[in-house]
Amino acid sequence: MKLTFLRNAPLVATIVASLSFGASLSSVAQPKDVTIGLAVANLQADFFNQIKQSVEAEAKAKGVTVVTVDAKGDSATQVSQVQDLITRGIKALIYIPAGATAAGVPVKAAKAANIPVICVDRTPPDAPGDTFIATDSVSAAKTLGEYVGKLTGGKGKIGILQGQLGTTPEQDRDKGFNEALQDFPGLEVVAKQPSKAWMQDEGFAIGQDMLQRHPDITVFFGRADALALGAARAVKVANVDHKVVVVGFDGDVAGLKAVRDGTLQATMTQQTQGMGRLALNSALDVINGKTLPKEQLQEAVLTTKDNVGPYIEKHP
Amino acid sequence: MLPPRLENTATARTALAPAEAKRKFTWANWVIGVQGPLFGLVLLCIIFSCTTNVFLSVRNALNILDQVTVLGILAIGMTAVIVIGGIDLSVGSVLALTMMIMGWLRDTWDVPIPIGIAIALLAGTACGLANGLLVTKAKLPAFIATLTMMSVGRGLANIVTDGRQVVGFPDWFTALASVRNFGFLSVTVGLFIALVIVSWVFLNYHAVGRSLYAIGGGAEVARLAGIHVQRLTLWVYALAGLLSGVAGIAMASRLDSSEPSAGLGYELDTIAAVVIGGASLSGGVGGIAGTVVGVLIIGVLHNGLNLSGVSPFVQQVIIGVVIALAVTFDTLRRKEN
Repeated sequence: MKLTFLRNAPLVATIVASLSFGASLSSVAQPKDVTIGLAVANLQADFFNQIKQSVEAEAKAKGVTVVTVDAKGDSATQVSQVQDLITRGIKALIYIPAGATAAGVPVKAAKAANIPVICVDRTPPDAPGDTFIATDSVSAAKTLGEYVGKLTGGKGKIGILQGQLGTTPEQDRDKGFNEALQDFPGLEVVAKQPSKAWMQDEGFAIGQDMLQRHPDITVFFGRADALALGAARAVKVANVDHKVVVVGFDGDVAGLKAVRDGTLQATMTQQTQGMGRLALNSALDVINGKTLPKEQLQEAVLTTKDNVGPYIEKHP
Repeated sequence: MLPPRLENTATARTALAPAEAKRKFTWANWVIGVQGPLFGLVLLCIIFSCTTNVFLSVRNALNILDQVTVLGILAIGMTAVIVIGGIDLSVGSVLALTMMIMGWLRDTWDVPIPIGIAIALLAGTACGLANGLLVTKAKLPAFIATLTMMSVGRGLANIVTDGRQVVGFPDWFTALASVRNFGFLSVTVGLFIALVIVSWVFLNYHAVGRSLYAIGGGAEVARLAGIHVQRLTLWVYALAGLLSGVAGIAMASRLDSSEPSAGLGYELDTIAAVVIGGASLSGGVGGIAGTVVGVLIIGVLHNGLNLSGVSPFVQQVIIGVVIALAVTFDTLRRKEN
């Protein structure tokens, strides 16, 4: 047995090395007084990744430690991760729920451990956190709908690429957009299909199928920029003989560049950097005993070719 | 050196000699069977105990058990399937389907939860039986047969409620996963441990359990030796379906909700856990003890990296590297034996 061990010693050494490498990259090396947990729904989505970067940058500026975990869109994973953060002794949790359900379980677990919760982007209706930071999606989607109405002269057929069904942003964007459409009876929604993860490849496939079934679609609304970019690609590949207006939502870096290049006609830019900073500062406030407003809704800005420039240089 | 291993490399020969199947339990045997992966698990625990001071505690150990319960229940069924030389890619989808059926029955039809669970488990078993029939009667390769069920199951899970999630179960049901009885054992974790013990005894000491190894070692030889290969294969897949159902119920209790996207990609984690535990994808080799260690390695790895505050992107790299090392280590050790 001894021989076996010795022969495998290099392997063992590699395990140890790789683990300590990982650990040294993280913030454990210099433990600071205040540790805040950040549970993200899915870092593959640029929108969440921007919030994460902004939270981490603000934390560095304020001299607090942030531990980030990524649920990769799976709510069961997220429950485990929040458990781990609580075990690690975080003082506050910044929480972006993955999926629509199970969202309440982590909040309840944190509350049971007396840890305040800052919900970002989505909020569990059965177990709200100490505050909820998000874009006012309803009014933003309404603004976007009105813009589409004006741009098309109130006439056309719309295909909608929905986000993950049951999530707060999907429901709110649906509500706001429909409100706007009521003023434009000539605009008709002919197709609506949900995606699973708001991703670009999904948007491409959904857009292609919609064009196959309704070749006369004149407007695509992607409930996220990635979905809209996928749809725009589908329009290009299908080589349709009329102009198709494609609009997105979020104001991702890729989305903003697409607006600049004319691939997308418009997007609603959310203040991701601002939301990340606000989330961290709210966490610090609540740790220091301040009471936070139940909701801190942020404006999203209608972004077209005319005003996209500054946003690409510095994201709000 | 220690005597040749008996635990995991049962061949057709082992099953043909019932006397050998009824060998006595010794700790030495057990340790030999899982020694490689167990070594890795202990090593991981030592490393994490050094990198973070919150890893080594009873509470965290209980958290880990809670976190691996669903994966562990799936892995028990997967071990049996892999031992007979098969594979089951449908476990994640069947999990979602059973979860949705139970949630939907309660939400829409007010069916009492115990009856809903029974119906959901029947559905899970039916999916497994369909897998088994595709493999034994339609002669599809297991990979393709269960791949089709993976797609059908996921579709059905979405059809049940038209893609909606079901939220909010009664307190007693969510308490099954969240309340730690006697201060340490939730019902779902207890169920997992009970299933581990039963399946371990079955695979090691029951004649039918031993004949599963014979099938994996060589189906034709096993058939000539008088083992009902077709019938057993069918039941192994049905059992895997049933266990996926049990895992689905456990997850619904833990999440206080049912969602059609649950368990996406879990088949890969499950297969990884079984293989880390020393099973061979070509069949005939593997065991419950090893699988449990494999499941714990995955659980400890995720938990420890989170506790150490390792960035999520670095975590993915480390998890891949550690799994590769664990299996390499085990393979080299086997060669030596």
